[in-house]
Amino acid sequence: MHVHELNPKKTLIALLAFVIIILAGFFTMHKPLMTYKLDMKQSVAMLNNPDACFQPWQLADVLNHKDKNVVLIDIRDKFTYGQGHIPGSENISAYDLTKAENIARLEAFKEKGLTVVLYGKDQLQANAPWMFFRQVGFDNVKILLGGYDYYHAHKDNLMASKNDQSYLKGKARYDFAKVAAKSGSTAGKSTVKTKKPVIIRRKKKAVVASGGC
Amino acid sequence: MNRNYFILTLIMLVLAAGTFFIPKKSMQQQVKPSKLLWEIIQPTRYVSTDQVAKMIIQKDPSLELIDVRSADEYARFSLPNTINIPLDSIVNENSMDYFGIPGTNVVFFSNDAIKADEAWVLTRRLGFNATYVMKGGLNRWIETIIQPKEPAEESPRTAFETYEFRKGAQLYFTGAKVETTTAKKAKVVIRRKKKKVVASGGC
Repeated sequence: MHVHELNPKKTLIALLAFVIIILAGFFTMHKPLMTYKLDMKQSVAMLNNPDACFQPWQLADVLNHKDKNVVLIDIRDKFTYGQGHIPGSENISAYDLTKAENIARLEAFKEKGLTVVLYGKDQLQANAPWMFFRQVGFDNVKILLGGYDYYHAHKDNLMASKNDQSYLKGKARYDFAKVAAKSGSTAGKSTVKTKKPVIIRRKKKAVVASGGC
Repeated sequence: MNRNYFILTLIMLVLAAGTFFIPKKSMQQQVKPSKLLWEIIQPTRYVSTDQVAKMIIQKDPSLELIDVRSADEYARFSLPNTINIPLDSIVNENSMDYFGIPGTNVVFFSNDAIKADEAWVLTRRLGFNATYVMKGGLNRWIETIIQPKEPAEESPRTAFETYEFRKGAQLYFTGAKVETTTAKKAKVVIRRKKKKVVASGGC
């Protein structure tokens, strides 16, 4: 006969203690700020989703205040933002994006049904953050194709970008195979310069004292 | 048999049965979102075309180049000793074997850096370390290594050093022969000093 069998309630008490500990653990569990909403396959498929991108010509409507559902977020640093930015954009630098308060703001934009357009200096700067926010479930976040540089160069005629393909990602600017082959036949030329004739002038020796010791 | 033991056994069995209903998670441990975001905003993953060229020339055994463009583009042109994993299939089971090999540094590249950067984010989320992105991609590779431009006269010395390296790298990658100079052999003109007449007579 075990000791605890003397008091049959001890089992119940032990059980209750377990339940309380588990419940306490469950409620105080640290809730992560963000969780992945897209699995890996979906994340890859998302990259080819034209709806996740924001074309430069779509900016025209935003700048005319026709499209009021768009929030522009500039992720460059404060200094560069101060030197020039898209009118109406807000500056949340890439480092600040990691802060909980800014993620809460993105949450708020999402609830209001606003589209958030991220842009950096070039498309590359905003690309990874954009991918990330899409993966954690912000399906209202889009990326401005071409980035600020493209906007800045074409701001007077944004609609023309409808016919411009140059800003699309992954464009090869050269026919690599051709260029490499061509450079191969001409590469050596400029490296060799004609040699100048070398002239050696010997120093004239000072006249040695004639006469002897 | 005590009733208490029976109840406890029953509870254990119920809990054990509960594990059948836990959703199946992939074996791969993914990086936490907040950590991934923090790493995304660091520019440390970018390597320059010069660095990549240097590693190729020195036959660095730790370098693993991965071309994330399509198979067609890869067939037309790529860097030497490159593995082709198109971005669409980067998270496939087969591709996983190429990442996380101890002692290797994976460098992704594409036409520009964007697709390569996307590959970096995806593999980083899967927890693979030592992955890098060649900044500027093949477009910059052509501009810097295959067709390097001579720096302006007033450029700093380092610009000329880089240029010198790139010219050498160009020869390495394009297989160009150095043309022997057509200029006539440099003439060495030696002017002999006429001997002064030393005092005749001695001691």
